[in-house]
Amino acid sequence: MKLKRIILVAMPLVLAGAGAAVGGRTLVLVHQRRMSGRPDLGFVSCNHCHRVSLDKLPWKQRRPHHDAPGGIVISPDGKTLFIAMDDVDEVAEADVTSLTVTRRAKVPGGPFGLALDATGQRLFVACPHQDRVAVLDTRDLKEQASIAVGVRPTDVAYCQTPVGERLIVPNSGSDDISVLSVSPLRELVRTAGGREPYAVAVSGDGRHVYVANRMAVHDQMLSPPASEVTVLDPANGHVLDRKMLHSAHLAEGITPVPTRGWMLNSLVRVRNLVPITQVKDGWVMSTGLAISQEDGEVTQIPLDEANAYFSDPSGVVASPDGKRAYVASGGADVVTVLDLERLGAWLTQADATARSDAIGNMALSFRYVVARIPTGCNPRHLALSPDGRRLFVAERLDDRVLVVDTTNLKPIGRIVLGAGGRNDPIRQGERVFTRARYTFQGQFSCRSCHPDGRVDGLSYDFDGSGIGDSLLDNRSLCGVAGTAPFKWNGKNPTLQFQDGPRFARVLMRTDPIPPAQLDELATFIEHLPPTRTIPWSRVGQPLTPAEERGRKLFFATQRPDGTPIPLALRCQTCHRPPLFTDRLLRSVGTKAARDASGRFDTPHLLGIGASAPYLHDGRAKTLEELWTTYQKDDLHGVSSYWSKEQLNDLVEYLKTL
Amino acid sequence: MSSRTSVLFGAAAFLLAGCHPEAPDGSLVLTQTPVGVPPPPAATVLDVRYPPGSRVVLLVPPFRTDKVRELSGGLVAAGDPCVSWDGRWVYFAGKSSEEADWQIYKVNASGGRPQPVTRMPGGAMDPALAAHEELVFSSPVPKAGRLWTTPTPAALYGQMPGQAPRRLTFGPDSAVGATVLRDGRVLFVTAGARDDPHAPRHLCLFTINNDGTEVTAYACQEDGVDFVRRPRELGDGRIAFLAARTEEPGPMGWAECVRSAAPFATRSNLFAFRSVGCRSVEPMSENDVLTCVETSGWVGRSMMGNAAVFRVAADATAIGAPLFDDPQWNSIEATPVAARDEPAGHTSAVMPGASRGTVLCLNVNDSSEPAAELRVFALAGSGQQRTLGKVPVASDGSVLVYLPVGVPLGFDTLDAQGHLLRHQPAFVWLQPGENRACVGCHEPRNHAPLNIRPLAAMLDPAHLEFTDQTTAPRATAP
Repeated sequence: MKLKRIILVAMPLVLAGAGAAVGGRTLVLVHQRRMSGRPDLGFVSCNHCHRVSLDKLPWKQRRPHHDAPGGIVISPDGKTLFIAMDDVDEVAEADVTSLTVTRRAKVPGGPFGLALDATGQRLFVACPHQDRVAVLDTRDLKEQASIAVGVRPTDVAYCQTPVGERLIVPNSGSDDISVLSVSPLRELVRTAGGREPYAVAVSGDGRHVYVANRMAVHDQMLSPPASEVTVLDPANGHVLDRKMLHSAHLAEGITPVPTRGWMLNSLVRVRNLVPITQVKDGWVMSTGLAISQEDGEVTQIPLDEANAYFSDPSGVVASPDGKRAYVASGGADVVTVLDLERLGAWLTQADATARSDAIGNMALSFRYVVARIPTGCNPRHLALSPDGRRLFVAERLDDRVLVVDTTNLKPIGRIVLGAGGRNDPIRQGERVFTRARYTFQGQFSCRSCHPDGRVDGLSYDFDGSGIGDSLLDNRSLCGVAGTAPFKWNGKNPTLQFQDGPRFARVLMRTDPIPPAQLDELATFIEHLPPTRTIPWSRVGQPLTPAEERGRKLFFATQRPDGTPIPLALRCQTCHRPPLFTDRLLRSVGTKAARDASGRFDTPHLLGIGASAPYLHDGRAKTLEELWTTYQKDDLHGVSSYWSKEQLNDLVEYLKTL
Repeated sequence: MSSRTSVLFGAAAFLLAGCHPEAPDGSLVLTQTPVGVPPPPAATVLDVRYPPGSRVVLLVPPFRTDKVRELSGGLVAAGDPCVSWDGRWVYFAGKSSEEADWQIYKVNASGGRPQPVTRMPGGAMDPALAAHEELVFSSPVPKAGRLWTTPTPAALYGQMPGQAPRRLTFGPDSAVGATVLRDGRVLFVTAGARDDPHAPRHLCLFTINNDGTEVTAYACQEDGVDFVRRPRELGDGRIAFLAARTEEPGPMGWAECVRSAAPFATRSNLFAFRSVGCRSVEPMSENDVLTCVETSGWVGRSMMGNAAVFRVAADATAIGAPLFDDPQWNSIEATPVAARDEPAGHTSAVMPGASRGTVLCLNVNDSSEPAAELRVFALAGSGQQRTLGKVPVASDGSVLVYLPVGVPLGFDTLDAQGHLLRHQPAFVWLQPGENRACVGCHEPRNHAPLNIRPLAAMLDPAHLEFTDQTTAPRATAP
């Protein structure tokens, strides 16, 4: 009887609850389908769109900072080493005899690139976080002056010209090169560089300045990319030459060999147009050195061996007598030592075909590589003492500088800057990110394709579902926290899944990254903030009139004539703030012949200005091309009514995100 | 004895049985063969190499002849030891009776009763270990003198602990002498591709991944004497191997090496001194190797001759005194018992059950006249060559084709009139689901491809099939 009463009371409650659940779900579905413009959409959690806050994302949180060495430079008397430490906004001075840090000075703006004047009295510091170059007096390490330059200056070179002292500053974020006079400290000219001007070196005679551009660009989607070496007259900033390093990228290091009239440029040679059926024999990429000779010829030679690879070459220096060069391999934790006399002899006897084919010959380097010096984690910048007897290696992720006796190639000791951050999972994840040991024969690291977490600007053909599928554009890892799912087909729910066993099978060709390291890697990636593309001076400032016009266009709900823009075709529907993605698959009319589906994961737009090319296969070289060359039937937003000026305004706004 | 004591004793015995003591530091595992014992009639290649009475023993410092510990107890013959990466186990080829097949056995490095880990019809030989304790071996064991002429060549197999063996190689000749490189690939010896099965074999080194994919020439293809054996990766990265003018080097073999940086350009003698009679080379440390060398005729030694164990530095100009020498035995294979870094693993792309793989050739015209078609053929089980069909060649010389798995495949390039331009004998194979690419026919060794988009990659692949009953081309258009 009691049971019956309970059933009688409970039954309506259960039915009412079930009805409410079904009704609620239906309402949610209706809401989702209306707001997304996707009638096919299944149930999606409310949190997918609502309660998304940038302030809660990992990259918005405070994180530990480390004494990671960036650029290093040695005084003309060979007694003092200056070390930039961008992560803690400091420059350190170290005594090279006692191998101890003697002073540290605050230099706001993430000091990274360093140069000394001829007397060693003034230290010039490129500060990429604040888009400026600071001048320090080396007697007291006090900042004497500062000047604003382009976006994200990463290096600085000092030279004397007949018309006065000059500083040359590659601005990696604005793709230009600042030429400064020193007295007074003034920007004389800002010259267009290639993509991401990154490192700079002065020729032996001081007449030319060479700027290495880190990223490659290509003319058309399936044409081989090339990165530029910009040659300038330092006196006036005029561009004298733009040498193209074919299929090269990650060109981060450059140094002159005055006795030979060479300029050496470290690089990664990519083969992104070839389907990734294998990685052995440098099938995906290999490392090399470009030798620019006085006669204008550029020869690329391999640094790798037939069965061992030394990924992510970065800093490069040559001995004053021109007999040796040293190249830091950040992914292999190695400094490679080259005998330039042997290399010169090989270049002399090699015919044009052999020189042209050299970079693909993985068995060539044994003719001129004489040693591989093991280092700590992620060696990047190098410096040589004026007599060439001591080599300094910035072990970036160990917070140390290794000192090597070049007469026997043995380590002398280390200058310790910090503790290394072994307890910081973000730092540990960065170590995983930069290490090539997780790929077959150490052929490449995560960083090889994602320098500093960003893009390499290339599209690749993964053979995961067969040879010859469409190329896939490499996407930036900066600002990806909270934007799951990942991959262009949106199949990977987490970063761990993205970089797990399938990734090992398709790309790494080794065992998967162990789970603990995979978690650390994901932690590091989630802490990468979106790339800043506007000048530091504009951060936090109101939008310009053009940007504001572009913002209104982005959030437009109707055309100027009052015609409503369908919900599904409004920019904000798919690129919903604050992440500027709805994290759903969308079709914008870009399906190529070999694509399995026309629907692709909606990319977030944070830092979009720095992640060209665009669309899933990288067919659009610029943001403009999205709504000109590759817009079809207003499928990628309603743009048919835009004027050229309106398109420019929209692009200006997008670059502020 | 109380029941509690009995339980304690039982537990202690159980723990002791499961807790394997380790061999003392500096120990060696050694193959010893009796001096002067002829091989039995109709024997296999292993019976010749390890005559009855051959044994695998543990040598403990200071390496005295009266202090050897037999690891192959209970077997009539044993040899070719290999030590697990953790230094705790020894795998070797052994034979339980005169009539039994050779199989691979496993024994604790400190001693114990060896247990068989293979049960291969026709026997198993040449054990090696890949990552995750995967055993790699050759099977069947060919008859003596028939290693390179047998109609049933030995193939390489991989076997994970507790799992069934998987066939890794499908070449037309025996694949033997496997060793696992630090990068995880399996390095082995087989005969180079040739048209005439009766032509003299030229043995060379090849690699595969541990799932049998990406068979690739490694070294010795165009140089040196015809027979190579027993490759090993040394601590300094060189690949050492035995070279000889006969199938079994015996007292006439010597040690050679190649540098892994350029294996096709650096073949040379391993030692600066005369090493004729070298029976084995194994890595000892980064700079030292262990080698077993015949000593007959040496100054101060008897002419009876036997092989002794030497430790040799990479830059040594003389072999020096033996590390271990027992006049009653030939000491022919010595390897250190120590934990070493495990080689890299490999995430397999093989799809068991798939009946085809894919081949992309970037440019069949490489080093040849422009071709109009690519003719693909396979070697049937009978050794007969069967044409699978023809595939059109794209204007840039690229070809993309689905092909059958598990059979040796060969390729001909043909001009527009169907005339033969280039012939590549059947040698390579595909594993199920394998995507394989090459730079071109007769591609240069250790060369990366040009960064060019192959036209064939933008077309649907052609599809060629194979059955052993195939007598006529069965090409199907894409």
